[in-house]
Amino acid sequence: MSDDQEYYAGLDMGSAFIKAVLINRKQIIAYEILSSGGRYKETARKVLDQVLSEGCVRLDKLSGVVVTGVGAESAPFQARQFSDISCQAAGCWSLFPSARIVIDIGGQFTRAIQLTPQGRVANFLMSEKCATGSGRFLQVIARILRINIEDIGPLSLRSKKPVEFSTNCAVFAESETISRIAEGAHMEDILAGVHRALAAKAAVLVTRLGMEQDVVLTGGGGEDIGLVAAVNEALGLDVLVPKQPRLTAALGAAILANEEKDKAH
Amino acid sequence: MHFAGVDIGSTMTKAVIVDGHGAMMASVIGPTGAEHRHLALAVMDETIRKAALSFEQLDFIVATGYGRINVPFADKQITEITCHARSVRALFPKVRIIIDIGGQDSKGIKLDAQGKVMNFIMNDKCAAGTGRFLEVIAETLGIKLTEMGELSLKAKKYVRISNTCTVFAEHEVTTKLAEGATIPEIVAGLHEGFAGRVVNMARSLGIEKEVVVTGGGAMNIGLIKAIEDKVGFRVLVPREPLLTGALGAALMGMDLLARGVTSERQRRLEGVTFFK
Repeated sequence: MSDDQEYYAGLDMGSAFIKAVLINRKQIIAYEILSSGGRYKETARKVLDQVLSEGCVRLDKLSGVVVTGVGAESAPFQARQFSDISCQAAGCWSLFPSARIVIDIGGQFTRAIQLTPQGRVANFLMSEKCATGSGRFLQVIARILRINIEDIGPLSLRSKKPVEFSTNCAVFAESETISRIAEGAHMEDILAGVHRALAAKAAVLVTRLGMEQDVVLTGGGGEDIGLVAAVNEALGLDVLVPKQPRLTAALGAAILANEEKDKAH
Repeated sequence: MHFAGVDIGSTMTKAVIVDGHGAMMASVIGPTGAEHRHLALAVMDETIRKAALSFEQLDFIVATGYGRINVPFADKQITEITCHARSVRALFPKVRIIIDIGGQDSKGIKLDAQGKVMNFIMNDKCAAGTGRFLEVIAETLGIKLTEMGELSLKAKKYVRISNTCTVFAEHEVTTKLAEGATIPEIVAGLHEGFAGRVVNMARSLGIEKEVVVTGGGAMNIGLIKAIEDKVGFRVLVPREPLLTGALGAALMGMDLLARGVTSERQRRLEGVTFFK
């Protein structure tokens, strides 16, 4: 079978969303993102079915599947598993081969991954114990400000004077936000303050790994232009952002499925 | 002689009046709002009425707690650490460790043999280990903060909640519920984790037998039991755990006056208008 007919799928079963990517010759030909809603197995099957039908590929014609993410154990079929760190590294490196650092800001954590020039994981650090180190912090604040997640970025960019929170705890920051608003603080300044706090946490991880040129910002955080701007400011460079930041781990999973197959030959 | 203590905590404002022997005559507990000053006055005023006294009959007023600077009628401000130590010395002379669990912070205080503060440690950086943690989760579970203690005692086993972060624990709790855990088991698990955090804080001071738990957290019987399981012995709880700071403040006023520190309050009182 030639490369042309070889299709690989990557399935990223995250805590909130399940993502699937279908590739051929390392190019994305179909993808899908669905909210898991707590039904991992069902959603995973649905997501995979959709990319296969979109790519006009039958399940038995797939040359390989790799599953990753916290929910990988609940995959509805037998498949090879890789850590989401390896998949994130492989996915980002395939898009940006010059990248040496990947920052992944998700709903539950922020992590920084250091890559070898060959795109392998050299080292990584995580901030996962506390909501202020994750996108969850933004969700908490957006909820009390009653704004949509997708409006956060554009609003934050309008800030002239980001709020400096007196606390490092998302719960306490929630009360602080309420009193700041009561005191007349602007919504955009509060959001920019949250972005700064998140960016500072990411910068700490990167500094501990050793700062290198060509940094990728991926995960849900990569979709937030306010956060991207804050990370740029914190690191003093312009990060590279994938077009579909939430798909990079699923893409990496598909690429690793492809590589596994190549190794076997 | 009469002495008053006002404790403006992050969640509750408390006032206590004691007589010349340090015995409690009256106390009032009210919620802390944005308007500290008015609230402090209102709570003080009500306490004075309960004690059947007038404002002029108070010989010394001490304010404590995080809002203590917002008590314009006080003669002196003293930190809650010192006030807690003072009342614990009066209530439980043998105690060497105080664990105070407040609405938005928690503290460990170590006392020497004379009941003086040797060292203390405080968490006000993170909601975990403070009343706020239980408050947030109670809301998620749709139960009252005040019923958590009794509820948790109904559990035969506890469900471990592995997240320290309140925000993440909130999510974990709903997942555990979906997986079939009962509310009592989850609450018992929350208490277990919570107790671990405050006991670790006390351990960092060097835990010694005779531990007292104060603050709103001490009113939660399930949490007290979890703390006892962690330290391996029974702990003491004042009859009115919320009043420890205010009582200590009143007693500090008594000590100060005995040492010859006099009140200059009357002069500063001019311009302060009272509720009622």
